[in-house]
Amino acid sequence: MRRTPTLRRWGVVLTAMLVVLAGCSSGDDDASGDPTSGDATGTEAETTAGTDDATEPADEGTGETETAAAGDGEPVELSVVWFEWAPAQLLEDFANQEYSKVNPNVTISMDAVPNPQWHDAIFTQFAARQTDFDIAILDSQWIGEAVEGGHVLDLTEFAAESINPDDYPQNLLSAYGQYPRAEDGLYDPAGNLYGLPALADSYVLVYRKDLIGEPPATWDEMIDKAAACQEENEGMYGLAFHGSGGSDEAAVMLNTQLWTHGGEIWDPQELQVEGILNSPENIEAATQLTDEMLPLTPPGFVGTAFISEVNAAMAQGQTCMGFNWVAGLEGLQTPEVSGALGETEEEILEKLGFARVPTDETEIVSLGGMGMSVSAYTENEQEVLDFLAWFQQPEVQVAWGAFGGVPAQTAALESDEFLSARPWNPAFVESVEDLKDFWNMPEYFRLLDIHNSEANAMLSGTQSAEDTLNNIASQQQEVMDEIREGGL
Amino acid sequence: MRPARALRGGLLLLAVVLMLFPAVWMLITSLKDIQDVYAATVFDFTPTLDNYRDVFVSTSAAGGASDLVTNFSNSVIITALATLLATLIGVPAAWGFSRFDLKGAKDQLFFILSTRFMPPVVVVIPLFVMYRWAGLYDTRTGLVLLYTAFNLPFTIWMMKGFVDEIPGEYEDALMMDGYSRLQAFRQGSLPLLVPGILATAVFSMIFTWNEFTFAVFLTGSTARTVPPAIAGLLGGQSTPWGLVAAAAMVFALPVLAFGFLVRKHLVAGMTFGAVRR
Amino acid sequence: MAQTTSVATSAEPSDEGPDFEPPPVARRSGRLTDRWIARLSVAPAMLFLVGLFLFPLLWAVVLSFSTYSATRNQPIEWVWFGNYVDVLTSDQVWERAITTLIFVVAAVGLQTLVGFGIAWLLSRQQRGRGALTVLLLLPMMLSPVVVGAFWKLMLDSQFGVVNRFLEAVGVGQVLWLTQPRLALFSLVVVDSWQWTPFIMVIALAGLTAVPDYLFEAAEIDRASEWFKFRHITLPLVWPLLLIAIMFRAIDAFRLFDIVYVVTGGGPGSSTETLSYHLYKIAFQNSDTAVASAYGILMVIVVTIATQFYVKYLTRVQAK
Repeated sequence: MRRTPTLRRWGVVLTAMLVVLAGCSSGDDDASGDPTSGDATGTEAETTAGTDDATEPADEGTGETETAAAGDGEPVELSVVWFEWAPAQLLEDFANQEYSKVNPNVTISMDAVPNPQWHDAIFTQFAARQTDFDIAILDSQWIGEAVEGGHVLDLTEFAAESINPDDYPQNLLSAYGQYPRAEDGLYDPAGNLYGLPALADSYVLVYRKDLIGEPPATWDEMIDKAAACQEENEGMYGLAFHGSGGSDEAAVMLNTQLWTHGGEIWDPQELQVEGILNSPENIEAATQLTDEMLPLTPPGFVGTAFISEVNAAMAQGQTCMGFNWVAGLEGLQTPEVSGALGETEEEILEKLGFARVPTDETEIVSLGGMGMSVSAYTENEQEVLDFLAWFQQPEVQVAWGAFGGVPAQTAALESDEFLSARPWNPAFVESVEDLKDFWNMPEYFRLLDIHNSEANAMLSGTQSAEDTLNNIASQQQEVMDEIREGGL
Repeated sequence: MRPARALRGGLLLLAVVLMLFPAVWMLITSLKDIQDVYAATVFDFTPTLDNYRDVFVSTSAAGGASDLVTNFSNSVIITALATLLATLIGVPAAWGFSRFDLKGAKDQLFFILSTRFMPPVVVVIPLFVMYRWAGLYDTRTGLVLLYTAFNLPFTIWMMKGFVDEIPGEYEDALMMDGYSRLQAFRQGSLPLLVPGILATAVFSMIFTWNEFTFAVFLTGSTARTVPPAIAGLLGGQSTPWGLVAAAAMVFALPVLAFGFLVRKHLVAGMTFGAVRR
Repeated sequence: MAQTTSVATSAEPSDEGPDFEPPPVARRSGRLTDRWIARLSVAPAMLFLVGLFLFPLLWAVVLSFSTYSATRNQPIEWVWFGNYVDVLTSDQVWERAITTLIFVVAAVGLQTLVGFGIAWLLSRQQRGRGALTVLLLLPMMLSPVVVGAFWKLMLDSQFGVVNRFLEAVGVGQVLWLTQPRLALFSLVVVDSWQWTPFIMVIALAGLTAVPDYLFEAAEIDRASEWFKFRHITLPLVWPLLLIAIMFRAIDAFRLFDIVYVVTGGGPGSSTETLSYHLYKIAFQNSDTAVASAYGILMVIVVTIATQFYVKYLTRVQAK
């Protein structure tokens, strides 16, 4: 065994420690890093505080110079935060390919987090009042939370100069950016705008052309066809829809059921839930969901089902019909996903059809999709606004649709490029006018948590429709009463 | 005696099969295309290596190395450094706590342990604020520091157990021979501690390698490690199960290899902690 | 900073120059420096932990007395113990506490039994023990998120291999994830699959360390297998096993990833653990103050439980 100079060994260890500690203050491999601040790092832990003080102003200084310099042609990277799915990659590719033609100095980098952490990753940064991203793609439910916290820029004036509200379906422009939202869910010119559409989305009905024939137009017809299809095809089930306990997955399905049957989930004016959500009509509609539709789904399926599960059920030929988000369908037409249905895209599309969600009392369809908001803490405000203005140009929206995205402007939606870009796009366009969203006030999560948990219990088959709606109503009414007392 | 042995062997085999089945199933899944994944067949499929290719090569039109490769190198660097640091800092501390009558040693040890009590979600926001302020957000350094700190309680507590088991007289005797305290530790105790250190390091490594919550919230696209990256493959679209399984398999390899390399010490190291007097 | 760190640490082994000569005779001051050596050996670890966790801890403690929300823009009011009272009087919290307790007891119990059982079998196995042990560690080497997602697929009522197998042997379809009791049981299984190896390897360590002469002596006395186990093996393994159980219990108490991925707390909120509930309050609802109080209460519970546990542990170790 070698004789080791132990003291020196400890010395090195300790020095390493101190360097590391002192390093807390420098962070020279920071993505947005300021390369000069690292040099100031002392080697004693004691200097940590001092160095940090020095670092902060330096960071701000860099930010300012970057902003100023960008106009002179300095390269700027705009960071967008979204979650990992096909549209995120599409948007990054599209923006870098097309926007660089207009403004070669700007690159767009997508910071995509796992889907379940999407909200949390964004709002953790908001909580620090400093963000690494310039643009946040927010779910429409979160706008109130972001606005009330002062985390996103008010785009009202900017929009007045750079977009024409008439270009958009009024419900979409409202859902992806307005807060507070007008009661009718349509764009309110007098209201404020905090986001502009990034990607439109809705529920559509995926169905097996070869087994169903024409897609059902009404809700009852859908149930009949599903039952018949299940009857006729050994080993297959009639329906597939979302119902998992995550996020708003079960809640949206419940809302869809209630809305199409003419019900409401609350009265936004009076902040009333009790008596509205659990009205006899709603209970009847929800009972149809549990008693007539659930038995047509694969056992144990709905309680854990979301986008991927419904896609799998359709792609594997397990169910005859299913509801899914349009943007989540990406890939379903390919043999990589749906190889069980055919070897080529053409073969697969002979079997898979896409239609608007059937109607009942109303033609309402659940709205998905999301808008782009600008972080209030961005250091590249002008570049971000320039980019947004570009993205909202009618011809760019057409190109976005052709590229595989889902635009939110009427002309782009009706363009041949969009209609032929993906097999489900025509079905989406059919229901655009009927899309409907739910709460977007800061308290949305407390409401959603109740809504989704209870709906999940119901869709897992462990709770009756009546109990479910009563539970939701009484719990949500408590929240509403608190909001009312809070003087909202 | 014979039947007992056969019974034990049989039971062990059963346990191994049951414990390893999910992992084997993951391996099988990694060799399947999506239809075969959902068909859930055991042998009746045509194996493909496409999933492994997709782990390393980007599927986008541009091609090139996939993002997972970057995540992978982040994971390797961060884990190696954090494990090393936790060992370098934790072992002396464990030794110190074991050998000396430190004032309030019990309280200090308990404080060390208690840093593990807090649910991560409570400390994520203040840590994020702190990291932003210190310029550590989305840096490997940031994660190295954090993971080192997270591994310290386990390292110190396990290693203290090991040091406790080595009679202090070893070091005392060496000191009588003229060695300093540190040399006595180096010569007397350290060689005996090596297996324990390696065993503990394997655990530190595993914890670090797989940590998810902080990796998601404290990194952007630059320093992101593999666990959040794999998680990103789930949800929001059709799940590429084959790719998920292949990525998980590839990602498990380095730890498995390290485990095999130190396997003698792994068992011996743990063993040694239990030797009493 | 990564470079600096790696340079400093990797330079360390090669830095062992021969320039330091050990003193030929013990210095008188050698003993005096013990105090410093003791302090210095512990200081880096304490510095590290205090440096990283003091601020988050203080932050949480201070805010737990307020109405602070990390993402809302509103003036802070001080409510002192109001948040604590709210958490402690909430029926929801107590429901989650019971779910968590059931989970911890079932999961750690199962892991201990199975882990110890496999370890015992392994300890009697001479050939290939090392390799087999490492192989059995594999579940631990996979990321919990991946483990969760994969088990979700395996337990899928339709496409899952578990149900395929059960159907093949005639048991029929089991709805693992959508029945409240069964869903919690599934979480126990998943967590146990991943963490049984942890207990196993530590128990194995204790088992292989039992000196042979003790057994030989017992053999001479014609002691029964049970006697040998109860009076020789167990007392020797127990202290080490207790530490392993403690670490597992602490982690199981904070269980989050697997719930999140496998059941999302469902059906309804039947598998929602304290950590998952806390996560919803902290992140989704941004009730930072309440979440802080909640988290601190959880820490207090673990602290008290661990205090008792450690006392017991020290007693066992002293024996």
